[in-house]
Amino acid sequence: MLKSQRQKDFVFDSVIYVVLFVIMLTMLYPFYYVLIASFNKGSDSLLGGVYLWPRNFTLENYRVFMDDPKWVKAFLVSVLRTVSGTLLGLLLTSIVAYGLSHRDLLFSKVYFTVIVFAMYFSGGLIPYYVVLRSLGLLNSFAVYIVPSMLSTFFLLIAISFFREIPAELKESAHIDGAGELTIFFRIILPVSTPVLATMALFMGVGQWNSWLDSAYFVQSEELRTLAFRMMEVINKSNSPMDSLAVANSVSAGVTSFSLQVTSMVVSIVPIICVYPFLQKYFVHGIMLGSVKG
Amino acid sequence: MELQTQVRSPGTGGSRRLFLWKRFKKQKILHLFVGLGMIYLLIFAYTPMFGILMAFKDYSISGGIKGIFTSDWVGLKYFDEFVHDYQFGKLVRNTLVLSLLKVIFAFPAPILLAIMLNEVKHMAFKRLVQTISYLPHFISWVVVVGVSYAFLSADVGVVNKALMAMGFTDEPLAFLTSPNYFWGLAVGSAVWKEMGWWTIIFLAAISGISPSLYEAAEIDGAGRLARIRYITLPGMKGTIVVVLVLTIGSILGGGLVGSNFEQAYLFGNSINNPTSEIVQTYAFRVGLSDGRFSYAAAIDLIQSVISVALIFSSNYIAKRVSGSSLF
Repeated sequence: MLKSQRQKDFVFDSVIYVVLFVIMLTMLYPFYYVLIASFNKGSDSLLGGVYLWPRNFTLENYRVFMDDPKWVKAFLVSVLRTVSGTLLGLLLTSIVAYGLSHRDLLFSKVYFTVIVFAMYFSGGLIPYYVVLRSLGLLNSFAVYIVPSMLSTFFLLIAISFFREIPAELKESAHIDGAGELTIFFRIILPVSTPVLATMALFMGVGQWNSWLDSAYFVQSEELRTLAFRMMEVINKSNSPMDSLAVANSVSAGVTSFSLQVTSMVVSIVPIICVYPFLQKYFVHGIMLGSVKG
Repeated sequence: MELQTQVRSPGTGGSRRLFLWKRFKKQKILHLFVGLGMIYLLIFAYTPMFGILMAFKDYSISGGIKGIFTSDWVGLKYFDEFVHDYQFGKLVRNTLVLSLLKVIFAFPAPILLAIMLNEVKHMAFKRLVQTISYLPHFISWVVVVGVSYAFLSADVGVVNKALMAMGFTDEPLAFLTSPNYFWGLAVGSAVWKEMGWWTIIFLAAISGISPSLYEAAEIDGAGRLARIRYITLPGMKGTIVVVLVLTIGSILGGGLVGSNFEQAYLFGNSINNPTSEIVQTYAFRVGLSDGRFSYAAAIDLIQSVISVALIFSSNYIAKRVSGSSLF
C-alpha cells in the first residue's frame, strides 16, 4: 500500500518536473536564439541550421548597428525617456499617493471616486489624441513623459503601501516641528524603497518598451524610440511585399534579419540587467493593493 | 480593495463648517498634493471622456478641444455607418473569436502552472522556473513579434528550417503570412508572454491555504491529485473568480491575456488581414491614418460600452454563482 503510493508519487513528480522543464526551455530558448543569431554572420543565418551556438561568429552586426546614427539616436531617445519618465512618474505618483494615504483627509471620498472612475472608463484613443494635440504635445519629447506620469493603478498601490507605514513615525516628526514636505521627503520616501522600486521597475519597463506613442503622436524622425525602430524593421521584413529586402545585405554579410535580432538584444539586455535587482521587491509590491486571495 | 474610511466630524451647522475649514487649513499641503493629481486626471482622463461626444457630431480636427462641443450633431450617423460597413461582419467575428480563444487557452494556463509549481519540493528549481516564466512579461510585443519572425517566418524562421531539414515539409509554412495561422499565433504568443506573470497571483492564493488542510487530507489517505482537487483548487476559487471577471471585462481589449491591439497590429499584414483585422486596428486605421475622427470615435465607443457591460455582468454572475466577485 505504502509502496504503491510512493511509486505513484514518483510518476506524478516526474511528469511535473518534465513539464516544468519544457516550459522553462520554451521561455528561455527564444531569448537564447536571438542572442546567438545576433553574433552569427547575417548571410550565414539565412541558410538555417544555427540552433545552439553561432556557427560563423562575428561582431559585424553590432558594429553596423552602432555606426548607424538612426539606431543610436533611437537608443538615446529611449534611454532619456525611460530615465526622465520614470523619475517624474515616481515623483508625481508618490506625492499624490502620500496626500491620499491620510485616512482623515477631507473629501477623500470625492478624490477616490474621481480616481476609480478614471480607472474603469476612458475616452478612447481618438479623443485622447485630440487632447494631446490641443495641448501642443504632439511631435514633442514631452508626449512620452507628461501623459504617462500618473497611473491610477500605481497610485492605488502606493496609497496602500503608505498606509502601512506606522503613524508614530510621522507623529514624532510632527512634534519635532517638521512640515508635511519635510516628512514626505525625509521620512516617507526613504522608508518606501520597496514600493518605489516596484513602481520604478514597471514605469521604466513601460517607458523602455513603448512604441505606440512614438507611432501615434510623433512624426519627427529625431524622436523615434528604439522599440519603434524595431517595429519598423520587423514590419518591413514581415510584410510579404518586402520579403526580398531580407536578402539585400546592408554590408559584409549583415542582413536586415541580423540587424533586427541585434536591435532586439540591445532592447532586451537593459531589462535583464535591472531584473535581478528589482525582482525581490515586485512580487510583494504587486500583491499590495491588488487581488487578495 | 479597501479604499477609504471617512472620519465623521463632530458638531453640526455653523460650528461644523468652521471645524471643517480648520481641518482643511491644517491639511492644506496634503490637498495641494492631491490637487495636482486631480488636475492631471481632469486633463488626461476626463477631458478625453467628453471627447466621446464627437462620435455623435461632425467633428473636424481643426476645431481642437472646443470643436468637441461646437461642431454639429449628427446623431447616430456614424454608428449606423459602422454597422453597415462591408467589413463589419469580419471585424466583429475576428474580435470575438480572438478574445474567446484567448480566454479559453490563456486564462487556465497560469492556474495550471501555479498548481504544478506548488507541487515542486525543490525550492531552487521552483524559483528558477518562476523567474524564467515571467521574464517574457517584461518584453515588449514588438520583441515578441520579432522573436516570432525569427522562429516562424518562411525565409529565415528556425522552425521552418528545422521542419524542412527533418523532411516534415517540402516548402516553408507561411505561419506569419496566412490567415489560417493568425489565431493560433496570437493565442500562442499571449500564453507564452503572460502565463508566468499571472502565475504570481495564483501562487499567492495557494500560499494562503492552511497547511493543516493538506496534512489532514494526507492522513485520510488522499493522494496528490485528490489533494489538488479538493484542497488546492477550492482554496484558489476566490482568486480564480476575480481574475476571470477581470479577464472577461477586458476581453475585447485583451488586457490580462495580452493586448489584442498590439498583436493584431504587429502580426497583421495584407495577407492575414481576413483573420487579423479587429475592431480596434480598424478604428485606428480609419481614425488616425485616414483622419475620420468621428467615425473612429464611434467605433471605439461601441467597444468600450460592450467592455463595461461585460465586466458588470460577469461580476454579477460571479457573485450569484460563487459568492466571490471583484466589487
